[in-house]
Amino acid sequence: MNRRVTALMVALAAIGMLRILWLHFVSEPRNEPRRAPIDVRYAALRAVVSSGEAGYVSDLPAAVHLGEDAATLGTRMYLHVQFAVAPVVLRYDDARPPLVVVNLHDPSRLPDLMEQRGLELVAQIAAGLAVARPR
Amino acid sequence: MSILALLLSGAGLVAAGMRDRASDGIERGFRAALAIALGTGAWAASYAAWRMAFGTPGAAKDVVLALAGAAALAVFRRRLPAPAQGREPAPRWLYALFAAACVVAAAAFVEHTMRFPDGGWDAWMIWNLRARFLARAADLHSAISPAMAFLAHQDYPWLLPGAVAQAFSTFGESRMVPAAIAALFGALAVAVVTLGVARVHGARWGLLGGLAVVTLPCFATFASNQQADVPLAVYFAIAAALMTSARSRTELALAGFSAGLGMWTKNEGVLYAACLGIAWIWRTRDLRGALAFAAGALPCAALLAWFKLGLAPPNDLAAFSTRATILENALDWRRWAELLVLTARRVVYFQDFGFWVLAGVLLLWFMRKRPFSVLGTALFLACAAYGPIYALQPHRLDWIFRTSADRILTQLWPVAVLATMPALARTTART
Repeated sequence: MNRRVTALMVALAAIGMLRILWLHFVSEPRNEPRRAPIDVRYAALRAVVSSGEAGYVSDLPAAVHLGEDAATLGTRMYLHVQFAVAPVVLRYDDARPPLVVVNLHDPSRLPDLMEQRGLELVAQIAAGLAVARPR
Repeated sequence: MSILALLLSGAGLVAAGMRDRASDGIERGFRAALAIALGTGAWAASYAAWRMAFGTPGAAKDVVLALAGAAALAVFRRRLPAPAQGREPAPRWLYALFAAACVVAAAAFVEHTMRFPDGGWDAWMIWNLRARFLARAADLHSAISPAMAFLAHQDYPWLLPGAVAQAFSTFGESRMVPAAIAALFGALAVAVVTLGVARVHGARWGLLGGLAVVTLPCFATFASNQQADVPLAVYFAIAAALMTSARSRTELALAGFSAGLGMWTKNEGVLYAACLGIAWIWRTRDLRGALAFAAGALPCAALLAWFKLGLAPPNDLAAFSTRATILENALDWRRWAELLVLTARRVVYFQDFGFWVLAGVLLLWFMRKRPFSVLGTALFLACAAYGPIYALQPHRLDWIFRTSADRILTQLWPVAVLATMPALARTTART
């Protein structure tokens, strides 16, 4: 019985190890691209937006209410900016604070969105990423 | 000074809780793992208490912690050696297999950390976000501002962010810092189970228990995700290991302290501490032991109450729930049926669990007529509690189950192994 239990657990462990090796060294390298560190795109924001609260507007919606899909690209973009600019508190979809982060999936929409939200440019950080203020 | 405070406070806690002297290498290893885990927890919890009471701590906090640890070491010098126990040795090939499994898991950890340099989604959305707030701002309120989206979970306790924030202050704000802390907790989870089983039942069962943790396919991934699930698993496992082998009330108090650190790690820690306490009373009828456990948990329970009642915004599950939605969800039989189906499918979820969880469920079926142990009862209570938690919460059931079930299994798995190995060791000893 002792040997049987040991053999069974060793078999389960071997299966587990093979699964780990397959996922991390075969499947993911083929199917899951390496993520760039979040700060690569957003760290430069900190020089412009350094304390207090700032607004956040985007061309993609983020999940901020019950029942909304939290796994969307818009949610990820918003949370990435929040992570990068901490300890600045980002107010989602609020264009009234003195500084507003504009983060776009489609950079060509920047002029439209600025016009629509009554903003003027303070600094262009990267393609589709800017800091603005209310006009 | 930070590392000295961490190590001395951990060693002092272990000396105060385990008054006899370690009798061999396995026991020394187990106590060293406890000292590092409890020291890290005490270092992070004292940071939170200081931060809430006085603001950003300087070196004084670590000096106080180091002195307290040193004093405990001096006062509780161990005199009598722990009684030796009959233990089953392990064959060499099992040591080699265990070492190979650890190498595979470590390689997977490194690969996953390189692929996702900021950790899993929750790491940058919650845990390391909070650590950045704590390290970068003097004002604690900004870290838990309700102006942020609810997904930042400002109400979550912050043992892990506290540890990462202090390490940021000591070593600089590098992505290596949370990754190293994640690696430490991953290694501690394996060590606590392996050595915790080996010290009672011998190296064979210890190594098999360790294998069950380190070869759970999702374990290395969750360890590298830099989230609070593996740290919570460590504190829950330490509490469980100490409770099952406690020879004194001080060891039960130490178990309670570890359960308290679990409470300060994640909200689920409150549930697990309560389940351990209730299971202890249910199975042993030892009220004094339960009081010792509760007394050990008290410092972190008080810290959590202070944070939750004084500072934290409401939890999203509570904020989005009304009496009407709770009642509606409770009476919706389709929701309960969906939960049963989701749970049954998860048991055979090979991608994350291999066949480990299925084997555990089958073993439970074969052993169903035996009385539950303290740990078995605690796990049963925890799993039973998750039924209504899932069914009554306000979010879409399939979404919240999909995003949380594997993490909950990761939190519970080391204790499930600790609960199972004694039963296997006893069964095979009789046959």
